[in-house]
Amino acid sequence: MSTGLLLQLLRGTLRASPLRLALTLACIALGVALAGAVHTIHASALAEVDRAARALSGQAEIEIRGPRSGFDDALFARIAARPEVAAASPVLELDAALEAQGTQPRSTLRILGIDPFRAIAMQPAFVADVGAASAGRAPRLLDSKAAWLTPRAAARLGITDRGRLRVVAGTGLVELEVAGVLEGLRGGADAAVVDIAAAQALFGRVGLLSRIELRLKPGADEARWRAEIAGILPPGVTISPAASVSGRAADVTRAYRVNLDALALVALATGAFLVFSTLALQAARRRQEFALLRALGVTRRGLAGLMALEGALVGAAGAAIGILLALAGSRALLARGGADLGAGYFAGHAGAFSPDPLGLSAIAAIAIVMAVAGALRVARVVGRMPVAEALRDRSVDLPQGASTSLVVAGGLAIAGLPLLLLPPVNGLPLGGYGAIALWVAASVAAVAPICRATLARIAPEAPTAALAMAQLRHLPGHLTASIAGIVVSASLCVAMAIMVFSFRVSFEEWLRGVVGADLYVRSGEQGDTGFFTRAEQERLAALPGVRRADLIRYDRLVIGAGTSPFTLVARSIDERILLGFQVEPRGMPARPPGERVAWITEAARDLQGWSTGDRIKLPVAGRLYEARVAGVVRDYGRTWGAALVPIEDYRAATGDERVNDVALHLVPGTDSVAMQAAVRRALPEARTIAMEDAAGIVRRSLEIFDRSFAVTYALEAIAIAIGLAGVTSSFAALAWSRRREFGVLRFMGLTRREILRMLALEGAAAGALGALVGLVSGVAISAVLVHVVNRQSFHWSLTLHWPVGVVAVFLASLVGLCALAARFSGAYAVRREAILAVKDDA
Amino acid sequence: MLEIRGLAKSFAPGIPLLHDVSLEVAAGEWVAIVGESGSGKSTLLNIVAGLDRPDAGEVRLDGKPIDFADDDALALWRRRHLGFVFQAFHLLPYLTVGENVALPLALLGAGTRERAERAAQRLASVGLAGLDARRPGTLSGGEMQRAAIARALAHSPRLLLADEPTGNLDEAAASVVLDCLGEAVRNAGAAALMVTHSRLAAARADRVLRLAQGRLTP
Repeated sequence: MSTGLLLQLLRGTLRASPLRLALTLACIALGVALAGAVHTIHASALAEVDRAARALSGQAEIEIRGPRSGFDDALFARIAARPEVAAASPVLELDAALEAQGTQPRSTLRILGIDPFRAIAMQPAFVADVGAASAGRAPRLLDSKAAWLTPRAAARLGITDRGRLRVVAGTGLVELEVAGVLEGLRGGADAAVVDIAAAQALFGRVGLLSRIELRLKPGADEARWRAEIAGILPPGVTISPAASVSGRAADVTRAYRVNLDALALVALATGAFLVFSTLALQAARRRQEFALLRALGVTRRGLAGLMALEGALVGAAGAAIGILLALAGSRALLARGGADLGAGYFAGHAGAFSPDPLGLSAIAAIAIVMAVAGALRVARVVGRMPVAEALRDRSVDLPQGASTSLVVAGGLAIAGLPLLLLPPVNGLPLGGYGAIALWVAASVAAVAPICRATLARIAPEAPTAALAMAQLRHLPGHLTASIAGIVVSASLCVAMAIMVFSFRVSFEEWLRGVVGADLYVRSGEQGDTGFFTRAEQERLAALPGVRRADLIRYDRLVIGAGTSPFTLVARSIDERILLGFQVEPRGMPARPPGERVAWITEAARDLQGWSTGDRIKLPVAGRLYEARVAGVVRDYGRTWGAALVPIEDYRAATGDERVNDVALHLVPGTDSVAMQAAVRRALPEARTIAMEDAAGIVRRSLEIFDRSFAVTYALEAIAIAIGLAGVTSSFAALAWSRRREFGVLRFMGLTRREILRMLALEGAAAGALGALVGLVSGVAISAVLVHVVNRQSFHWSLTLHWPVGVVAVFLASLVGLCALAARFSGAYAVRREAILAVKDDA
Repeated sequence: MLEIRGLAKSFAPGIPLLHDVSLEVAAGEWVAIVGESGSGKSTLLNIVAGLDRPDAGEVRLDGKPIDFADDDALALWRRRHLGFVFQAFHLLPYLTVGENVALPLALLGAGTRERAERAAQRLASVGLAGLDARRPGTLSGGEMQRAAIARALAHSPRLLLADEPTGNLDEAAASVVLDCLGEAVRNAGAAALMVTHSRLAAARADRVLRLAQGRLTP
């Protein structure tokens, strides 16, 4: 086919139905915009984490880091003295809770304790300001009460020179004077820099470091140095690249980000179905035109090329608009609300706008590929139509596809099964995603035969209903194209509804089990500088009305290469607690004298490869804490590994008598509010503690849970809206091409209202068929989400629960909306002037 | 009996299409109206069918005037009393021939069995016995028009309107259709009004009138 002819035919297509084309473009653009915006927001957040980490680490190449509780600072001297080391800088890093200001919620501030004379070799900006801009004030960095803020911290806190910071240490507050702002760290994280010795003393970390930042001499054999150093590092201390926090942030958030991207791509896929539907409808109207082209000598390949080009143009135009919308939308969202989309991973990150061109290009490419695939699907069917028949044919239906849809559907469904058995790839449930994609494709392929079989069994008596069903039976191609988008979006909405409901019920049951005490007293709402001393713990336990006080201590360990966090929870453990954590196997294990036991979470089991009965070694306080795995517990609070150990064993091994939380079991009849007042009286100097009763914790946790899925619900709603747009567009086109039929019916005595009711019934029937297929497909996919995707992404096992009411209301609403869409889209074609078109004998 | 009195219709001020048209058609009588293209024949038929409003005049069927103000009432009136035969047949492609013929009966609430029996009888009366289960697309033009005639008379209407019923047919088929139409009208006892530009078709009617310059003349 010549280029000139191609362009002429393309122009004809684009002019044939501009409104429908515009709707299709809008839906593609919306799908691309959603996927692009979600991706850009996350990319910006990660870029900021990386940028901030690198700004603080400066020229450091390597970091040696240990658990959150720190490691012996004597190691520094041994490391720094190595001949390969060009520069070494010790760092104590803490997240300190700030004193609450009025009604403002408490926040944290990262405190970096540094040795300024060593740190300058890594990041001159830590102290460059002191020499250049504040002559005579340099010694202030060594002042135990002085802190220097990064520009971001100063802006957030609204504090500059001579301001004061009050941060939590233990159960009290320490006050630091803000000596200035380190302008050289613009772009760095939100942090306050203090002298390391001061930080150690103020926050009870004397003799401890968080990490050592290093730069090796040029030409040094890094691999040999690493091997030698590894031998002197205590357990739980590891070597990683500098600014490794950004890599860890990427690892921890990967599954969440990919899941949200996948959900946004569903909206895109639904938009792509609209391309298929639009091109298919046009193919029906241009059937004779295509037949004429074939009669004149255009090959099947030529026709396919024309349609593929149409699809590519529509996809490309929609993708281009969508990318622009994604960039504008994500920029606005980042400026207004930061980078957190509800799950809390990027809470507190302002997120400077940093689009990822590669990611956005991939999303645009997916849109174009999907549009072309839809076009080629139509082209394949158009190419097979018998030319002679099509030249005479005035049918408004779509060219019929192969009658082997049911076989194809079955094949796709079966092909998905082995993918469910695949292990995760780089922490991502790719096998699960693959199975879901195949099952969605299977559900679309099954639409035609299911519709045929279902409609054959429906024979209503009422004339308008009988006409509606006869019309749907007569136009199977239209029906399939119309409801394919509904099937895709309904499948995923039903699947997500079941998964989220199952998750919520499982989470609530677990929460009520683990939150077993009446009142929880925390040394600080946030941060890791708060703790209760032994004396404070005893005072709480001795309060009148307290039946029992459970003690809880947390630490963040570094296990193996340390790419994934690991939390140690040392606490009072009894059978009731284990039951609340839904331990397997149940019950307290028999312990030979002197043997330590630990209960690991499902994430620890999956990520570390441990199982019940194994002997594990946890790097705690610079030593290896050996324990036998007594069982596996559920932990919906973390997506990374954790281990529960009895606090008595922990104390005996480490000598650490501090705790972070105290869970008070009250004597029956004791008022929780009165007890909170009693706690404050018992700890008058502890002005930073937070208290909450069990009901409050459950309520707040569920609120956070619901909020974290708000973005999910929004994406699903948009996918449904796109699906409905497809139904509306399809029915509008069909109604306009049937206006002569409507004229005949008006001549025969049907009222306008009856014809519109007939259209509404057609829409409702189409919606019901789409909902039926979507329901079956959605139930199957929900099992994949629960048992494969969720499990492999977040290492949580859930129990399936069925939100029958919610799903029923959703599907009924979908059917109603389809009825309304068909009714209103046909209203124009049922006007009197349109009726008189019956007299046009075209 | 169909009575048309003083019907007038203009499409623009000063451009009348119909001017003081009056006519009576008795039950069982077949009247043909001939005229050139654009003379207003179809407009006259649309007004009689209640799908267009006259500027003046009235239409009565069996003494009762048609209320042009109420759209729904008009639809119900057509459902009960009117049968219409179109030039392009307009059988619904997604119904069988039998279902097409039975459609007026379905709209009047007849049961499935009654509809099937009466449709079969009507088809037989127009020489299409046994074609109930066929799809319209499989019939010839003449067969489709005869099926359309059967549909128009299935519910025994008081008035039959035919708009160029042989316009899409060759001479032979047209002749068969006209024979069929005439016999059906006489047997049904309906008043029949046909517009046509074919003098041959008009000659089959009981009476022929001419519509020219907005006026009806013998």
